[in-house]
Amino acid sequence: MKIRLRETGLRMSEAGNTICRWALCLTILAVSVIGISISRSAHAAEAGKLVEKEGQYVFVENMDPATRLLLDRAVKQGIITQEEYNNVIQESERRAYLSQPSFKAWYDRGFNLSMNDNAFLLKIRGFVQMRFTQRYRNDAWRNPGEAKNFPELLGVFGDYRANRSENDASQFNLRRVRLMFMGHLFTPDLKYFIQLGGETAENAQNPGSVQVLDAAISSTHVPWLNIQAGQYKVYFNRSQINNSTSMQFAERALVMDAFTASGLNRRDIGLTIMNDEEVYPVNYYFGVFNGLGPGFNRFGSYGSEQPTQDCPGGQAGGSPANCPTPQRNLNANLRTDVSQLMYVARLNWNILGRPGYAEGDMAYSETPQLALGGAYAYNPAINTATDNAFIGTDLANLNVRRQLATFGNARQLGWGILDYSTYAFDGVFKYRGFSLQGEWYWKNINRHQKGAPFLGPVAGANGGSAPALLGNATGWYVQSGYYLIPRTLQFAARYAWWDPDTNAAGDLIKQVDAAFTYYVNGTYDHQITLQYSNTFIGTGGYALGRSTPLPTSPVALNPSGTVPLDAVQKNLVENAIRVQYSIFF
Amino acid sequence: MAKGGWRRQLTVCILTMLSVVGIVLTGCARLPYTTKVVYEGSQVMVALQKEVKPAGYSHPAQLTAEEVTAILRGFSLREEQQLPLRWFAEEVPPKQLFREDDLAHLTFFLVDGLKAAGPDERVHFALYAPGMNPADSRSVTAGWMAIREPYLYLGIEYVHTEIPIRKIDNYYQNNPQMPPLPRTYLLFFEPGRFWVMDQAGTRGLEYRQFLKNVSAIGTPGTSTQ
Repeated sequence: MKIRLRETGLRMSEAGNTICRWALCLTILAVSVIGISISRSAHAAEAGKLVEKEGQYVFVENMDPATRLLLDRAVKQGIITQEEYNNVIQESERRAYLSQPSFKAWYDRGFNLSMNDNAFLLKIRGFVQMRFTQRYRNDAWRNPGEAKNFPELLGVFGDYRANRSENDASQFNLRRVRLMFMGHLFTPDLKYFIQLGGETAENAQNPGSVQVLDAAISSTHVPWLNIQAGQYKVYFNRSQINNSTSMQFAERALVMDAFTASGLNRRDIGLTIMNDEEVYPVNYYFGVFNGLGPGFNRFGSYGSEQPTQDCPGGQAGGSPANCPTPQRNLNANLRTDVSQLMYVARLNWNILGRPGYAEGDMAYSETPQLALGGAYAYNPAINTATDNAFIGTDLANLNVRRQLATFGNARQLGWGILDYSTYAFDGVFKYRGFSLQGEWYWKNINRHQKGAPFLGPVAGANGGSAPALLGNATGWYVQSGYYLIPRTLQFAARYAWWDPDTNAAGDLIKQVDAAFTYYVNGTYDHQITLQYSNTFIGTGGYALGRSTPLPTSPVALNPSGTVPLDAVQKNLVENAIRVQYSIFF
Repeated sequence: MAKGGWRRQLTVCILTMLSVVGIVLTGCARLPYTTKVVYEGSQVMVALQKEVKPAGYSHPAQLTAEEVTAILRGFSLREEQQLPLRWFAEEVPPKQLFREDDLAHLTFFLVDGLKAAGPDERVHFALYAPGMNPADSRSVTAGWMAIREPYLYLGIEYVHTEIPIRKIDNYYQNNPQMPPLPRTYLLFFEPGRFWVMDQAGTRGLEYRQFLKNVSAIGTPGTSTQ
């Protein structure tokens, strides 16, 4: 009976999934059909048009003025009839219309190419951000280094290494290089956006290669039901919804990256419905995504089956006793959790005006602008590499693991399958050049494998298991700016705080930033930023499944110079000055 | 995290808030701001803007639409080049500021604005036309007008400049769209003898003298093209 019920439940669940997917397909299809049908509008004959000449727009009639004068005189003097006059005017305008080019090209915030009826538009934009970094790190960065939040995962298996460096660094960096293709198809309400990025983050080990950052289609036919599908930034937390072209600082705070919707990346592949932010005071965003970051999906998520149940085994022998030996269990032979999706909901209330998501009050708002927002994201079944009796961690997709490490969530690596429930609450206020914004984050981490995680086959008081469970994560930031010269010179300051493990001590991450930004032409598009940053990272807490051999408790540095990855000693401090030039054209 | 840490965080938060409020109170950034919208339509917008410093204008002012039309018809302009281009740029002849259809749309509302303005308010105006991509931008000619007897002052911010319609980019989601900064234009007036410097060294139009002579002069401004 139980089996039958389970089967029925499974069938219903499958049926529900199928209906959902069909509904999504039909929605997208319907949007496309609406777009195509609206695009078939008739051309109206024009008597003239605005023409840009030497920087000024002048209205040019299609008919030569001399001809029109002669025709006017002719009809007045009765040389031709009114009917003949009308016919020849119509024929002349038709001829002029047909002889003019069917497209126009111009520059306005990008290179624009459009059909004359505005049915198609291609806008090409570029964004280049160059940076010089002068940074000083304390001795703790050399020994033990940063191995818990931002470790480096090297090689094809992603071997863990602490992020360690010398004290001083002076480097140029091409931080962001973007090429964007955007516009509309058939009608101005069916839009596309493609963004290529070829950039290098600070501390990246590989030269920047061109990647597709965004590729999305949007329908804005219905203002209260805009639809966006493809790969793009998830509408979750304020700091990530805002673009890198309109930040008050050279870089986002570390805490902002750690609390994205998926926990892996700010971008994802999926679908969002929302209303028009400029029309409605209350904005909603409901999205469904793969939940594994850009250019990727859950088909790439895998685990290893145990050859014999309850026998984790290992290449060198069975464990526990009575299990067959030897057997291999690092097989990565089963695609797991391929039916899971991430769900994101956000509400934003524009209480006063429309502050938008751009940082700072560049617009010099004449009336107070105030907004509050809140969001929730549920990203289930992230395989962070499971515990294993042989090497401590089983294989899991390296892309997933590297994304976790890049966005500062590497503490959760080696914890098996995790469900992230992330909450974000934010507020922003702008008025006459002044801006204040802040966010508070909370991430609840649910571990599928209950109990203390296995640390490795080492002898110790804990019998190879971790002494305590990893906790949840929380953080917040507040930042404020003021335009000392409206639209030209802004000073901004920020304080960010992050507790990556609420069960651990000595692991806080604190960041202070102060920046002057000079806007060359009074817009976000052209700016020079001078920023000072102080970053403090505690080395406390556990980072599981790293060391070989794994420690059973937080350990200090080995006097011989060996640095266990779980070493807890000193705090990491970094002082940095960044000079950054950005141009968006 | 230690329990005492929350108290420290709260202190940091309060200090941060106090410091930003302090910055606002002692700040120096100011721009004229809109106090009243006289008219806003698809082609024209006229509003009153309060000056940052006391301006002592002679508002409210009584002018007829015909008088305002005659005045505005006389203006022409040329965009001022930035240094060092200014040293090398060939001087182009000034072009008439308003077309006749612009004036027909604008002057009636300017008259209303001058009547409603206070001594520290200027009358701001904007003329709209469809932009190159009508779904995204519009072509804007904008500026302001004010009277401090015996002078009429005119400032021009944009001349047929593409200005975004929305605050948020139509195509690049959540990218803010800012209008370009107002440009600097060199204004001319025909006949030039009424376009003089005031005591503060600012160009102003002796508009009452001009209006007295306007019938004798004929239609001014047409010779500047």
